[in-house]
Amino acid sequence: MADLLQVRDLTTHFFTRDGEVGAVDGVSYSVAAGETIALVGESGCGKTVSALSIVRLIPEPPGRILSGKVLFDGADLLQLPADEMRLVRGGKIAMIFQEPMTSLNPVLTVGRQITEALELHQHMNRQDAFRETVRLLKLVGIPNADQRARSYPHHLSGGMRQRVMIAMAISCKPKLIIADEPTTALDVTIQAQLLELMRSIARDLGTATILITHNLGVVARYARRVYVMYAGKIVEHGPALAVYHDPRHPYTVGLLASVPRLDEPRKTRLAPIEGQPPDLVSLPRGCAFQARCSFYSGGCEGQALDLLEVSPGHYSVCWQGRKGREEWAKT
Amino acid sequence: MTEAAAPAPVATVTRPRHTLWGDAWTRLRRNRLAIAGGSVIIVVALAAIFSPLITPYGFADQDLNSIMLGPTLAHPLGTDELGRDVLARLLYGARTSLAVGVFTQIIVVLIGLPLGAIAGAVGGRLDNMLMRFVDVMYAFPDILLIILLRAVFGGSIFMIFLAIGLVAWVNIARLTRGQVMSLKGRDFITAARVMGGSQRYVMLRHLVPNSLGPIIVVLTFNVPRAIFAEAALSYIGIGVRPPTPSWGAMIRDGYDLIFANSNLVLFPALSVGVLMLAFTFLGDGLRDALDPRLRR
Repeated sequence: MADLLQVRDLTTHFFTRDGEVGAVDGVSYSVAAGETIALVGESGCGKTVSALSIVRLIPEPPGRILSGKVLFDGADLLQLPADEMRLVRGGKIAMIFQEPMTSLNPVLTVGRQITEALELHQHMNRQDAFRETVRLLKLVGIPNADQRARSYPHHLSGGMRQRVMIAMAISCKPKLIIADEPTTALDVTIQAQLLELMRSIARDLGTATILITHNLGVVARYARRVYVMYAGKIVEHGPALAVYHDPRHPYTVGLLASVPRLDEPRKTRLAPIEGQPPDLVSLPRGCAFQARCSFYSGGCEGQALDLLEVSPGHYSVCWQGRKGREEWAKT
Repeated sequence: MTEAAAPAPVATVTRPRHTLWGDAWTRLRRNRLAIAGGSVIIVVALAAIFSPLITPYGFADQDLNSIMLGPTLAHPLGTDELGRDVLARLLYGARTSLAVGVFTQIIVVLIGLPLGAIAGAVGGRLDNMLMRFVDVMYAFPDILLIILLRAVFGGSIFMIFLAIGLVAWVNIARLTRGQVMSLKGRDFITAARVMGGSQRYVMLRHLVPNSLGPIIVVLTFNVPRAIFAEAALSYIGIGVRPPTPSWGAMIRDGYDLIFANSNLVLFPALSVGVLMLAFTFLGDGLRDALDPRLRR
């Protein structure tokens, strides 16, 4: 399958008073047309920065994309002139944010915010754009769509607003939707509804999706492939099922162990990953996870951190993880 | 509303539509002081507009047989040392004061808002340059600058607007810049840019409309300051040219005769005070009404 998006060696650093922060450090991933991939990791590991780097909306300064390529539809987005880039944003790549309460303009009706995107990218006139907006709002499951289009954001609940954001994202039929923790701020019941909605819309429109999340339960169900990020780097990636059943990086193991499970006795204590994420200004030599790793051994410092294949399509940077499951279980 | 032809869908619950400004109006109406202030302003404005209907005298009509009278039936507020009716002069003077208050704010908005918005939205070196210019303007003594501008531009009343406006815009520029900068980091701005909005579009459509609340409030507070500035200018004799009345000029003229007829100071001073208070109360009410944190 031809890749719709190829991110190669993307490096985005923030230059702060405390030093240079390697928020995204040599990250590569790819998304095929119509495919859903997941980017997983804890807060501050660079998921969002890597997504914002794709559409070149890193606040600059202090941030800067230092190197890498973002090949999208045959063109390198990082080299595109600003006005062409603007047509890509919204027109070909759309984004859904974590916080629906703050991602809509409070002084414009929700309908107006969608029609403006339609007028910009699809060159519709007001009436057509409004009709299309009502259709989109119906599509994302908003009742009374033509009245709701005239509502202001503060009239709507969080779930409704996120539906509006989804409607806005799909309004110009983008080829790729980046969903940055789209359900984190919502009720658990609404989360499932919205994810199902996003999945069915993506399937109907043939849109590829990058799902950024720290909810591993979400990943298994909705993404075909998973990229696990830690401290600005991808530490493991592969087909979702393989990563779930046979994780080959201690961090992934830790993440999976810390998810509450319904099929275990309720008294079982969750196993958190001990310690704090490392300071991105002064990373340790070698593996960034070593201080928290339960598989740490003296050999870790000297190891090269390349993603190497452990099974077909499944890669890990951990030299111990690559040895294989049985070998690993012994330590 | 009688829409007989429209068959109302039974299941649809329709609530009255609240617009943002509608909500603010509802909150403003609950504030008695603000409404009182607004009413005073409207009454003064109407009185100023329709002054020829209220008083039979012109502001320059002299009746040398009745000089320095106290309140009488023919002259409800008395007459001044030239036999001019004080009420008529007050009413026509309100025209000057209100015009100064309103037109200077228009000039202030025309200069301050775009400069502040551009500085805030673009940032970087341009922001730095614009704001240093604002600092210079801010540091310069206001009255001195107005006197200078008056000396350069000459005497028409529009030049008074211009002079006061050219001094007062720095506040709005700073405020707008601050508003825009704090909004710039908000999610919906990023969202608008992700959807392909250009910088111009984001500024005009998202940044400026969201900063309007505090700007309106400050403008309302600015109006009495401008009125007072005009009064001060007239007081030192470089305001409107006689015989055109202005409240400040009337106070100055009356001050010389304060022991002979204190009414000549009292009434214009009261008028300035009441109008300034009215604007201040209205501004106070607007601030509460437009504060999004109180939105219910």
